[in-house]
Amino acid sequence: MNDQPGPNPAEPVAPPPYSAPARSFGAPREAGVPRMETVRVTAPDLARRAAMARTRRRLVVAAWAFAGLFLAVAGKLTLATVVAPLKPKLPEAVRVPEPDRAEPAGPRVERAMIVDRNNQILAVSLPTAELYANPREMIDPAEAAHRIKQAVPRLDEAEMRAHLSAAKAFVYLARRLSPREELAINGLGIPGVYFQPSERRHYPLGRVAAQVLGGVDVDEHGVAGVERFFDSRLTGSADPLRLSLDIRVQAVVREELAAAMAEFQAIGACGIVMDVRTGEVLAMVSLPDYDANAFGATPAEDRFNRAVTGMYEPGSTFKLQTAAMALDAGAVHIWDQFDAAHPIHIGRFTITDFEGKHRFLYLPEVLAYSSNLGAAHIALTAGAERQRAWLGAMGMFRRIGVELPEAGMPLAPPASNWKEAATMTIGFGHGIAVSPLHVVRGTAAIANGGLVVTPTLLARADGTPAEAVRVMQPATSDLMRKLMRLVVTEGYGKKAEVAGYFVGGKTGTAEKVGGHGYKKHANVSAFVSVFPMNAPRYAVYMMLDEPHGNASTGFFSTAGQVSAPAAGRVIARIGPMLGLLPETADAPTIEAALAIPLQPAHPGARAPTGLAAAPDHPRDAARERAPRRLPLVPATPTMPQDARHEAALAVPVAPAGYAVAADAAR
Amino acid sequence: MPALSRADTSLLGRWWWSVDRWTLVAIAVLIGFGYVMMLAASPAVAERIGEARDAFILKQVAFLALAGAIVVGVSLLSPQDVRRIGVIGGTVALVLTAATLVIGTEIKGARRWIALPGLSLQPSEFLKPCFAIVTAWLLAEGRRQARVPGLTIATAIFAVIALALKSQPDIGMLTVLTAVFLAQLFVYGLNMILVAIGLAAMGGAGVAAYVLFPHVHSRVARFLDPAAGDHYQVTTSLEAFGNGGLLGRGPGEGQVKNVLPDAHADFVFAVAGEEFGLLICLALIAVFAFIVLRGLLRLREESDLFAVLAAAGLVTSFGLQAFVNMASSLHLIPTKGMTLPFVSYGGSSVLAVALGIGMLLALTRRRHHGDLPS
Repeated sequence: MNDQPGPNPAEPVAPPPYSAPARSFGAPREAGVPRMETVRVTAPDLARRAAMARTRRRLVVAAWAFAGLFLAVAGKLTLATVVAPLKPKLPEAVRVPEPDRAEPAGPRVERAMIVDRNNQILAVSLPTAELYANPREMIDPAEAAHRIKQAVPRLDEAEMRAHLSAAKAFVYLARRLSPREELAINGLGIPGVYFQPSERRHYPLGRVAAQVLGGVDVDEHGVAGVERFFDSRLTGSADPLRLSLDIRVQAVVREELAAAMAEFQAIGACGIVMDVRTGEVLAMVSLPDYDANAFGATPAEDRFNRAVTGMYEPGSTFKLQTAAMALDAGAVHIWDQFDAAHPIHIGRFTITDFEGKHRFLYLPEVLAYSSNLGAAHIALTAGAERQRAWLGAMGMFRRIGVELPEAGMPLAPPASNWKEAATMTIGFGHGIAVSPLHVVRGTAAIANGGLVVTPTLLARADGTPAEAVRVMQPATSDLMRKLMRLVVTEGYGKKAEVAGYFVGGKTGTAEKVGGHGYKKHANVSAFVSVFPMNAPRYAVYMMLDEPHGNASTGFFSTAGQVSAPAAGRVIARIGPMLGLLPETADAPTIEAALAIPLQPAHPGARAPTGLAAAPDHPRDAARERAPRRLPLVPATPTMPQDARHEAALAVPVAPAGYAVAADAAR
Repeated sequence: MPALSRADTSLLGRWWWSVDRWTLVAIAVLIGFGYVMMLAASPAVAERIGEARDAFILKQVAFLALAGAIVVGVSLLSPQDVRRIGVIGGTVALVLTAATLVIGTEIKGARRWIALPGLSLQPSEFLKPCFAIVTAWLLAEGRRQARVPGLTIATAIFAVIALALKSQPDIGMLTVLTAVFLAQLFVYGLNMILVAIGLAAMGGAGVAAYVLFPHVHSRVARFLDPAAGDHYQVTTSLEAFGNGGLLGRGPGEGQVKNVLPDAHADFVFAVAGEEFGLLICLALIAVFAFIVLRGLLRLREESDLFAVLAAAGLVTSFGLQAFVNMASSLHLIPTKGMTLPFVSYGGSSVLAVALGIGMLLALTRRRHHGDLPS
């Protein structure tokens, strides 16, 4: 650097450091200079020097000895750390405990969601915490209970205090704490209080589809419905369980059923919507229902699923089965007429028509006016064996096969008792009890071209064909669709009509069986329908349990008055949801194709008169026999016994002249 | 760099340029390591015996600071002052050691301690360096003046001390003291036959101790026969070394130390092994070896017999103590409770060691020839 000052000539230069040995002031200069000196070495001196030399040698020996000691330590150290280390067996207390969730076989497995066919969440498990405590670690139970109460007011302070004061090592304080509550209690920092992770099943839609979903117990085990049927599936796989239900359709059905139930003061109701081609159940409603979130607090009556557990006499809806069976077998023809003028006396019973026409009815008229006498004659014409085989093929004697543990077993008379009386009454839907879903499946098979499907609650992957069993010729199904449509256009199902949806169906009003026979004014009024009839897609079933007529129905509580209108409203609302728009442009053409006269003419013969059919028809023999034999039935000596037996099952004791089973619709 | 000029003739200036600075640095390293090990080892022990977590640490911080001050302070003294301290301190320590037999506090079956406020004082710890000084003085005087029976007096004093230590009993301390005494005699130039007799006597005493004292018997028996009896402490210690490996678990990461009895004192070397590993432990051994070997070899330049013998005794005492501690931890010798100088926890131990090292530094300061008057 340039700013370094150079030697300043003005300053006196310091003298050089005095390097000579110090000497006393005034001493001669020679005193500071080392001099050679003569030294005398004595013998003791020499001995001392020899001793010092030995000492120095021994110091080196001592150093070597220490070097050896330290090398030994270093060697053993290397051995102990690297070469042959002794690995510690650490005690448990030192180890960090594994969190509970890491245990593979732990009881807390996440339960999979349940969703509807559109992935709307129906059931979902939410994380919660269970609060427990070790009272032995408690410092002040009363204060602890008080502070927890302050944090989570819904808990019972006195109960907690009692628990915390107990001489135990483990007490439950609360279950199902929300994360917010858990945080609040944890924030208190009370020693001896612990949390256990848990989960809680939540049903966001509450009552909608409650019976289908069922419920879980406190330990998250399915105890009813789909939750129980698929319990292992739900705990085994984390993938959501996708049901066939369409929760929009479900909600509509529930709403309309509830409205009809309220209007007619019914004690219960049931509604089903099913895809007739795949068997997928889009809606299954049973009223009264319950909040699935509070399954445990629900009375058993509310849990009852009428759609699959309830076994009801199907009533007139079964006349579709009777007609299809007889037509498919060729036992009857569409132009055949049946005696609805004379009551049938069998044993002590009499079969009559409610509000009957008191004349011979063509087969379409039998369905349209729901004639018991006509149906009885048709059934008898086809015969008991054929009827049993038909209903068996339709699955009316088995459990329905839907994925619900509650699915019940139909009640049907054994083959030994399936005699003429049973054949006749079952022909119009009495003397047998099946679930509403059985009726829906049977009707779907009649409408869908003749294939019986298995109803399912699981969504079918698009494109997979449904497993189905053919039970009739397609031609029979075509004819039956026209007849079902006729019931709505001309018969007692008129109130179910929805413009553009070509609804076809059948009413069914059955008196309920009481303790001592049929109850006079307690009906089960059902309407089963399929739409659109030109290309059937969905079956809609609406049923009211013990409805009461009002002024708008002329105080009738029959199916055509109470159930058919509800079915119509449901179809009008769900049709667009399901992608079916009302067909108005081609309506006349379609209507014409579906049309069938109430009194069809014999093909190539004059109009039928009087008795059943033209005698030149090849199948006349079988058909003719039945009407002739009918009057003989009461005279058969064995019948009373048989009839009594059947009555015990289905047909109650009734005074002469009284309609065994009233069935009518207006 | 040096803060003190060569021309500085003040007490500190002269000290700085004459003291053995390498050894001083090595001692500073040991004290620093002692701080680190205290942080690592003593909380585990404190928690286990129910003391406050920092109880040992705070005490030891004070003791180590005091030890540093003692090392520097004593090393400032002249050899004559060291001799005076040795004689006076040795007398006091001997009296107190004898007194422990009467007023001593009994800990773990032995009366070695005198309870003072704040610490338990173990007088025999101070006896060790002081006796080395006294012995050196007696031997040196005996050589210088034929009429002084130095060797005899020293042997007599040794006998008294040995009796006191045997009565406490403190066989470990007695062994070290005997070894130091013999080492001084060896360096003094004692006839090899007499050295051999001394060693034989020591061996005989060892056998006697093995026979007479149950705890000695049990320790030696356990050392010789791994299958016999309780090996918990030394096994755990070896597990600590094994857990440490080459580089150690890292500071504060030791786990075996939590279950190792006396982790902060007699087995602090095992904690060092677990947390810092082989390399750091080898460095620690090297520091001790450096101090001992350098101390012994430097004495070859010393012409004064008293300084040579005293320093040799002090270095031997220091080195043996370090060796016994580390070798015990490593199961190289039977377990003997002895602290690792400056590293282990222990009040009187660290102060006594500081006193010894201070004396050593004072005696090995560079002097003009003949500086040590007779």
